[in-house]
Amino acid sequence: MNYNLLAPEIILTLLALVVIILGLLMRDVSKNMLGYVSAAGLLASIIYVLGNGMNTVGSFFYNSLTVDPLSQVFKLIFLIVSLIVVIASIEYFRDNRNQDEYYALLLLATVGMMVVASANDLVALFVGFELASMSTYVLAGFEKKNPSSLEAALKYFIIGSLSSALMLFGMSLVYGITGSTNIPAIIEFFKSNPMIATSSLDVVAMIFLVAGFGFKMALVPFHMWAPDTYEGSPSVVSSLLAAGSKKMGFVAAFRVLVLALVAIRIDIQMTFAILAIITMTYGNVVAISQRSIKRMLAYSSIAQAGYISLAFVVMTQMSIAGGVLLALGHALMKGGAFIAVALVGYMVLSDNRNAKNIDDLGNFAGLGKRAPITAFSLFVFFLALAGIPPSAGFVGKFVLFYSITIEAINQASSWLLIVVIIAILNSALSIYYYARVIKYMYVLPPNGEKIKEPAPYVVAILLAVIGTIGIGLYPEPFIQMAMNAAKVLGV
Amino acid sequence: MFSDYAALIVLLPVIAFVLTLFLGKKLYSGGALLPIAAIAGSFIISFGTFLEIYPKDGIVQQSWPWFAGMNIGILIDPLAVVMLMMVSFVSLLIHIYAVGYMSHDHAKPRYFAETSLFTAAMLSVVLSDNILQFFISWELVGLCSFLLIGFWYHKPSAAAAAKKAFLVTRVGDVLFLTGIVLLYVNMSEIIAGRGFTVPEGNFILQFKTMFEAIPLINPTQLTYITLLFFGGAIGKSGQFPLHGWLPDAMEGPTTVSALIHAATMVTAGVYLVARTFPMFAATPSTLSAGVPDSLLIVAYVGGFTALFAATMGLVMNDIKRVLAYSTVSQLGYMMLALGTAGAVVGAQAVGISMFHLISHAFFKALLFLCAGSVIHAVGTNDIREMGGLFGKMKITGTTMFIAALALAGIGIPFINIGTAGFFSKDMIIEKAFEYGELKGDFIPYAFAIIAALLTSIYIFRLWFMAFTGKPRSERHSHESPGVMTRPLMILALFALFFGFAHLGFYDYLNKNFELMTGEKAAPEGESLQMSPIIVLLPVIVGVLGFLISYAIYHKKMLDMSKLVSSENPLYKLLLNRYYEPKIGADIIGVKLTHDVVAQSGEFVDRKIIDGLVIDNIIGNTLFKLGEFVRKLQTGVVQNYASVILLGLGLLIILLRIKFGGT
Repeated sequence: MNYNLLAPEIILTLLALVVIILGLLMRDVSKNMLGYVSAAGLLASIIYVLGNGMNTVGSFFYNSLTVDPLSQVFKLIFLIVSLIVVIASIEYFRDNRNQDEYYALLLLATVGMMVVASANDLVALFVGFELASMSTYVLAGFEKKNPSSLEAALKYFIIGSLSSALMLFGMSLVYGITGSTNIPAIIEFFKSNPMIATSSLDVVAMIFLVAGFGFKMALVPFHMWAPDTYEGSPSVVSSLLAAGSKKMGFVAAFRVLVLALVAIRIDIQMTFAILAIITMTYGNVVAISQRSIKRMLAYSSIAQAGYISLAFVVMTQMSIAGGVLLALGHALMKGGAFIAVALVGYMVLSDNRNAKNIDDLGNFAGLGKRAPITAFSLFVFFLALAGIPPSAGFVGKFVLFYSITIEAINQASSWLLIVVIIAILNSALSIYYYARVIKYMYVLPPNGEKIKEPAPYVVAILLAVIGTIGIGLYPEPFIQMAMNAAKVLGV
Repeated sequence: MFSDYAALIVLLPVIAFVLTLFLGKKLYSGGALLPIAAIAGSFIISFGTFLEIYPKDGIVQQSWPWFAGMNIGILIDPLAVVMLMMVSFVSLLIHIYAVGYMSHDHAKPRYFAETSLFTAAMLSVVLSDNILQFFISWELVGLCSFLLIGFWYHKPSAAAAAKKAFLVTRVGDVLFLTGIVLLYVNMSEIIAGRGFTVPEGNFILQFKTMFEAIPLINPTQLTYITLLFFGGAIGKSGQFPLHGWLPDAMEGPTTVSALIHAATMVTAGVYLVARTFPMFAATPSTLSAGVPDSLLIVAYVGGFTALFAATMGLVMNDIKRVLAYSTVSQLGYMMLALGTAGAVVGAQAVGISMFHLISHAFFKALLFLCAGSVIHAVGTNDIREMGGLFGKMKITGTTMFIAALALAGIGIPFINIGTAGFFSKDMIIEKAFEYGELKGDFIPYAFAIIAALLTSIYIFRLWFMAFTGKPRSERHSHESPGVMTRPLMILALFALFFGFAHLGFYDYLNKNFELMTGEKAAPEGESLQMSPIIVLLPVIVGVLGFLISYAIYHKKMLDMSKLVSSENPLYKLLLNRYYEPKIGADIIGVKLTHDVVAQSGEFVDRKIIDGLVIDNIIGNTLFKLGEFVRKLQTGVVQNYASVILLGLGLLIILLRIKFGGT
């Protein structure tokens, strides 16, 4: 076993422990440095992942964890999101006396997500899932004095527990059927016993897993916690939830569902197509009537989950690659957007300590004048989310829609084409609510003075902007990376 | 060693653009030094690359995959390297000059940032190794042109001119893009159907691959593709009938006119035809199939534009407009060269055309900068209000006279001493004559020789009216500062002596397409022995034009007041620019586009689509749906859990129905 491949996880776990111990010993004033320490650790992990190479392969702990191109891509996504969130948190939680707990939990959540990305065994998968979930439950309610933060956390926790239970039930059914928790062994079993694999029991088991993962992905009808939680949580935590923890659901679904469904060879294209279409349409339609930007972003995030889950409809290498790319792009765009909202919140609170509804649309009026970098970045994120080139959002959607169109032509299937058309119409629809915010930012007069944008926010936002545009301008290596990741699944 | 850093030729001005835009306010002279340093760097690398590849007849090719079989790349062959040197050099001089010219302007950072971006885009056009990157840079060039023409956007005429330039060139750009799409379709077809393979490390829209595919592409399709490309060139290079924007573009600062609308951007169209010349040359040259030869069209459009624009140059009173029409006319010559010489000497036409392009860049930039110097001094564009400036502005007057000599193509035939224009333009006129001999079609030659006469008349008219005679207005004029006159002197040297490089230049450019595709060009045909009168004629008309202007505008031997009056229909026609602005703006722009198309479009959009479809059907329904679904989001966590379980049940039932039960 080459432990270098697991070094990123090991670094972060140790760092989380160090941060919490340091926090116990430190005076409150000097806790601000913990953010920098965490950022440094995340950066080291990113360098380690890149140093290990995107195409390395390895397996650990009796084959319960695996490192392969798929896990590497998602680890990179989680690490980058966490890095951006940590950098922004340096400002967001400045002078908060519980910072040590915050950073430790955030690092542990990241480790949990990375374990899920690497999981090759249902038990490991569940442990990773729970590690990430538990940490984020606490993070969502981190502003103890803010009732809406507490409410957000509680709802998230209750629905999360229900979903975990469903998922665990699904896993136990799979274990009952196959006698193993090891994913490759399960796949082997399905392949050699097609009769059992297509039995009702197995289908029910799969649906339970879909429900469990769908909770994290925020697919309709498992999505209802998401708007409340994203709105109530601290913005930086919303960023982590939407950009990072949501992708955990996808990587788990890629690992388990795609493999299992390919092995089972049952035709559930239609089911996923309906789920995806309902999810994206629901997200976009409800986003239109939101005035709270965080809620709007939450619904837009649901819509994006709808697009990404189109990858499950055709399950070709290219469609999975498109899903991975869009997941990567979405992590950057949505992560950045939530942090920009955090900055607007900072701006509003510095105007008025007791302001309510700080993410209301009205507070974005004239943002182009008040906070030019933030406004411009939001502009970039919104256009990218709407899928306008050159941006990561465009590249991901392009590859994904293109793969489905090709499959529609290959299968001479008109309803697949209709799916693509609905998806494209949805993208067009989404421009409406993004453009509205852009109008507020650039056309309406500002309702305050120009502010000084705090450096940590700006760094975090610009990182996301550079990633978003960079992928759009030079997509080839990223497409290659996603294709390699998809190849792992053997589709 | 320089060629390894070829990418910096473009990147340096891009960096200067970003830095100047954001930091310009805090730097000396609005950050002018950054672009100057960056463009000087580009020039040094271009020149170094030239010195490196010239002795060994090498070319530089670098290419990186971009997406979906496209690439980003650099191709520096003889054609590109001479353009690179010219663009970076002229741009450098104009940037230095602009430090003086723009010294009173408040928006200097914006100015220098935009010209720097423009230079980067133009350099990127020149060294693109594929047509897609070429097009993207081409569009960026168009954008910068728009921004710079409208630089003084608070002036309504400037804003209108910027809009006009943008819209008119857009017509050409759409044609060009259509051509690229058609080319791509054809390339894909021959890859799928005729076993054409793109070699390893090459890409589908690279010029190299395109040229290799020429024999396989259906000739009719090839003609369409080249004509669509030429449509793009017509727009960018201001050829008839898309020439109207270029004189209006003079609303921008004079330095912009010199940089963009004389020396560099407008030559992009000529460069496009030169760059894809093998495709033009390969189009079938028979009229029998109902398909004209693309080169023929290039020759006629070019020749006609040369003459047509020169007639308008005769009567304009705005110093910059005279020069603008002169530019249109000279660009026509370059096209004419590609078209006629292409039929006579094949790919050598590129050398002939490019030589005129480069020498024109020097003397036209010089003319514009002189005009700028004059305008800077007297504060008006109208030559009727100038006069007698030579006494006060010796340097400007002398250098402008040199430029006028070069534009008129004055020189001494047979012993080969003359200005840059003498070598470059006479060669084109001679080739047009040879074309006439070969095809029995002397129309292009007639265009060329009459335009040469008119050219000489209008440019000396300009010079005499501005610099000699009595001052016609009470203005205190002065010579411009050294930062402005020194670029003038440097350019004047080039206008005088660049012509002597002609033989070496032709030799070098002739190798261009061999170096890229590795195929030898067709051997050169025996040059026709031309009678001395044909060789002399261009110079004779040049001198004749000078004498006519001297007689009329300096000695006042003829009374022009009868001719120049609103009674004279011909004068009126010319002064109103053949009613092109009227036709273009009022009839096509306002009546047809706005009143008919836009108004009916608006009716359909507002009343039918917005009114009925959007508002009532889609809009209201979506909004109501949104509101309704929003109410489902009760905020009660028990409901959320119920929905999850309900969904779970539905999914299971759905799959049970689909598979039946076991």
